Amino acid sequence: MVMDCQNFKELLDSYLCGELAVETNHTMLCHAERCCSCRSEMAARRQLRESLRRVCSREKMSDQAMENLRTRLRSEAGLGAGQSRSGDEVGRRSWFAGLFKMRFLMPAAVVAALTLLIAAAWSLYVLRREDPSNQQKISRLSSEQIEALELSGSLISESVGDHRTCAAHFVDATGPAEMPDSIRKYDSACVRLDKIAAEGAAGLLLRSAHICGFGERKFAHLVYTRDRQLISLLVTARDSQALKSGRVPPFDGLALGTQRFTSDHLALGAYQTIKRIILVVSDLPENENTALTERLAKPVAEHLRSAEAELEPEKRVGRLNLRED
Amino acid sequence: MEQNDRLQRLETFEAEALGFSGQLFRVALRVCRDRERAEDLVQETYLQAWRSFHRFETGTNLRAWLYKILFNVYHSGIRRERLELAPIEETIAETIAYDPPTPQHLTDEEVLIALERIPRDFQVPVVLADVDELSYREIADALQVPLGTVMSRLHRGRKLLRMELANYARNAGYQIAN
Repeated sequence: MVMDCQNFKELLDSYLCGELAVETNHTMLCHAERCCSCRSEMAARRQLRESLRRVCSREKMSDQAMENLRTRLRSEAGLGAGQSRSGDEVGRRSWFAGLFKMRFLMPAAVVAALTLLIAAAWSLYVLRREDPSNQQKISRLSSEQIEALELSGSLISESVGDHRTCAAHFVDATGPAEMPDSIRKYDSACVRLDKIAAEGAAGLLLRSAHICGFGERKFAHLVYTRDRQLISLLVTARDSQALKSGRVPPFDGLALGTQRFTSDHLALGAYQTIKRIILVVSDLPENENTALTERLAKPVAEHLRSAEAELEPEKRVGRLNLRED
Repeated sequence: MEQNDRLQRLETFEAEALGFSGQLFRVALRVCRDRERAEDLVQETYLQAWRSFHRFETGTNLRAWLYKILFNVYHSGIRRERLELAPIEETIAETIAYDPPTPQHLTDEEVLIALERIPRDFQVPVVLADVDELSYREIADALQVPLGTVMSRLHRGRKLLRMELANYARNAGYQIAN
């Protein structure tokens, strides 16, 4: 199909809903890259969708109406309004209710416990790993600093595009996958990327490890699956096109934590180091994706950060060849 | 014992279904255009749902089922009240041949005003698809209209919304891309 501006605008809503075929998505993105007016139309419609969600989501039933609803349900069920909470039923049904609540509370308790455990393990890991003298100071960033570190729309579209177009090919690939040696030419710090990421990849199946490109951007790409859901870990250069401001401010990345986005129904989580950006893109809900990013991308960010710290500033530029043509 | 069973069933129903009250309410608000009536519609929906909860198959789509009941209740209410929806589709179809560029930097309030200005036959599919992320099939089931109608209403609804916003922006002197 020839993608002109007319076609682009007709398909844009379907594109934003994630309904188009992989090839069409690719054609859309290629057109947007070349056509400034379609690119801004895409941004405007995306803003409109987000705004629509915000305005609609803030509408809530009043507490009074919810209370009335519960009362009416109880009376419809032939139960007194306060029956479940008082009266001589309580003793008899308390174990019932207890069981019932357990069913709902148990998962929450397990999640809370696991989160605490992971948090504790993580802080131990960080403390053990980092020499106190070398430990980077975690400071609170100002809103201007955070703004300067905002990822660009093009990086987000390219990452999402790469996930959509590339990762899908590997959904049934048979492992074990290993990063090819040619990665050295692209980014020597990514040589053992699959092994480093394996630390946080419990429960995920590595389907492929390779270098790929989407639009102008190159990625080191690890493709994982979990129950047929695709998860991409992408490492790319932190260059001026990767950040919204068009500049690359120096920073250690630690204070920023995970950056999170949703684009075209796909959740993205990102970490930045001085030279690179690590992204986790998946079709998981945003919260799950963020948790996964913490698990999967953080060790990679730590590894890349130490690799970058080992290099002398002047050698750093020479040795890293992130955007090879 | 029987009462205990009922109580347990009701608590299961509440735990599984009441979580969708926010989503049902926002759609109710779009169709009723009045908070109080929307709250009544949601309450009525839940009462109906509870009455037929024994027929609900566990594991199937509870949210879609609730939406379907909501529109059933709404439509039967309309018949009782002898309210009529104007046949708007034709008049609207003629006005939307032109698709203006979408203005940027509008506030949420402006978007809400524009949304409320478009006829509800078009507004509702937009909210169901773009806010609640229902599939076309789910929307078709909930509204009890053919799949093709959902797609064309959605397409026109989005276009109408953009047109409202463009008109608004033009009047307010906003800059539009292009």
